Amino acid sequence: MKRTLWGALALSLLLAGPVMAADGIKIGLMGPMTGSWASEGQEMKQVLDLLAKAVNDQGGLLGKPVVVVSEDDGGDPRTAALAAQRLATQGVVAVVGTYGSAVSEATQNIYNEAKIIQIANGSTAIRLSEKGLKYFFRTCPRDDEQGRVAVQAIEKMGAKKVAILHDNTTYAKGLADEAKSLLAGKAEVVFFEALTPKEQDYTAILTKLKAAAPEVVFFTGYYPEGGLLLRQKMEMNWPVPFIGGDATNNPDLVKIAGNKACAGFRFLSAPLPKDLPSEGAKSFLSQFQTQYGSQPSSIYAVLAGDGFRVLCEAIKAVGSTDPDKVAAYLHKDFKNFPGLTGAISFNEKGDRVGEVYRVYQVDAAGNFILQP
Amino acid sequence: MMDRTKYLYLAGTVVLAAAPAVLNTYWVDVLNNVGMYAILGLSLNLIVGHAGLFNLGHAAFYAIGAYTAAILNSHFHIPVLWLLPLSALTAGLFALMIARPIIHLRGDYLCIVTIGVGEIVRIALINNVFGITGGANGIFGIDRPQIFGWVIRRPQEFYYLIWLFLMVTVFLFQRLENSRFGRALNYLREDETAAEGSGIHTAHYKLMAFVIGAAWAGMVGNIFAAKMTIISPESFSFWESVLMFTLVILGGSGSIPGVLLGALLIIGLPELFRGFANARMAIFGVAMVAMMIFRTGGILPARPRTYRLPQPAAAVEAKP
Repeated sequence: MKRTLWGALALSLLLAGPVMAADGIKIGLMGPMTGSWASEGQEMKQVLDLLAKAVNDQGGLLGKPVVVVSEDDGGDPRTAALAAQRLATQGVVAVVGTYGSAVSEATQNIYNEAKIIQIANGSTAIRLSEKGLKYFFRTCPRDDEQGRVAVQAIEKMGAKKVAILHDNTTYAKGLADEAKSLLAGKAEVVFFEALTPKEQDYTAILTKLKAAAPEVVFFTGYYPEGGLLLRQKMEMNWPVPFIGGDATNNPDLVKIAGNKACAGFRFLSAPLPKDLPSEGAKSFLSQFQTQYGSQPSSIYAVLAGDGFRVLCEAIKAVGSTDPDKVAAYLHKDFKNFPGLTGAISFNEKGDRVGEVYRVYQVDAAGNFILQP
Repeated sequence: MMDRTKYLYLAGTVVLAAAPAVLNTYWVDVLNNVGMYAILGLSLNLIVGHAGLFNLGHAAFYAIGAYTAAILNSHFHIPVLWLLPLSALTAGLFALMIARPIIHLRGDYLCIVTIGVGEIVRIALINNVFGITGGANGIFGIDRPQIFGWVIRRPQEFYYLIWLFLMVTVFLFQRLENSRFGRALNYLREDETAAEGSGIHTAHYKLMAFVIGAAWAGMVGNIFAAKMTIISPESFSFWESVLMFTLVILGGSGSIPGVLLGALLIIGLPELFRGFANARMAIFGVAMVAMMIFRTGGILPARPRTYRLPQPAAAVEAKP
């Protein structure tokens, strides 16, 4: 019995050895395949697999096939550091990913020292690109960009008293701070506090919020708390309008809150996959539909796809996989590339240039409707 | 018998010292993680394995050590390694403070309190207590450790730091296990009433075990902070405590080789199973279940120790 067990163990070790032996251009994908953001990571992988297949069907890159090597970062900095080391030793040219800002940060130095280009797809924290890292790019916008759009939306609603509620995460706090500083002189911030994520009852903080009498509440946290807030706000019979940051953009928000509580809720987001205007995006989405039977639900997966396409384009244009040349090209000569999520250019810090965020509103049936 | 173990340890040391020359950076970094969890496991082993106190909040002490190092380093630029004793001190003091009123609790009751403590610490860190923990962002920009002006940066360099620390830990804990202190802990684990009856101050010994274990975890926290250069509360979740607890129980509680093996399996196997992509955690779980079915007492359970009475001089002479 014991021998069988050890045999099984040894066999699994053998299987777990180098899976990819094919000669080709390796592009890494680092995403949360397990953990609480697993749905994001798995969709990222689906998108990249599909795009890589399309590139390979057309003859690959520089005459070689593209191989996507994906690693699990578990949504946790320690696991991510290991995933990054592993990708670095597998000879990848560049890496797409990852979703969480703190997770990306734990891997930035590893990639930078290994001279691997990293294109993050969901890490919006401002400080990631303020370190002057030469090989770091991102296809998602930064939090300050979102703050700007949020303040525009609040101004448009004509609100003079604004409450800002965050949850102390890197992302939510950053967005809240940004919005607060941009609101100065335009509207009064009557409430600025954090809730504790993953609780079930937020009536205490809602009562406190109500006492501050805001005309609009800007919630910068994630969708599970957002859904609960909306439901409990309705149960309190408090009709104040809520605006959410892009982390409330998830169909589960409606499932948690219920259609009635969600109706009229606005949130900021990069356009949802279904609202992407370009022809390229439409044909990609229909391919995705035929391949996997459903549309991608998360814009971050599509942004990962854009990261991959940007890399392919840059490698093709430079004619080599030399990280210095590719990075220099992306910084300087790469302008207005027709990405799935709109035109893509990078500034000298590696941040995406251009407006990405839109305002969405939830209708009575729980659908997300793009606001003009 | 003793000689064989010595040779085994010697051979192990040689293999380990040569490992970075053979393995690539990734595997060296996996071994770094194994090493850190082995030290954490050994520190928890003193509490769980020797004193028999169920502690499912060990990540709290680990976190306090890490945050002590991170805060003092990022604000006052004190070299990280100098803060090693201070990390131990704060974690130990914190353990003393919270363990003193609850040390008389038995078994699962103590376990529940420690889970609570672990969560309180994590949530306090998220809520930015005293405005110094950086909230959910955590603290970034922690310096790399330096030894005489030589900056430890690459995983290979960390490997020697961590495994040297592990060796020192193994040596000290081995000594502790065979001391009067270790025997007292084992006695009160087996039968607290009898131990008290024999004149062992049980509360004192339990507290000491708690404090030493916590202080050691605090030092690992220091190294973790220096290695990652960024720490955030999600690194010290309840799951971390469970991992440490599991590796002690799986390897064999109360046994140093068992804990080392446990760390190797718990941290190493998920990495080995990376080839299975999305199913890796499921396969890891199956492997764990299989092991617990076949080895219920842990893989390398603690062996009963024998002590020879010193033979009277006359008896020795009488023998031919």
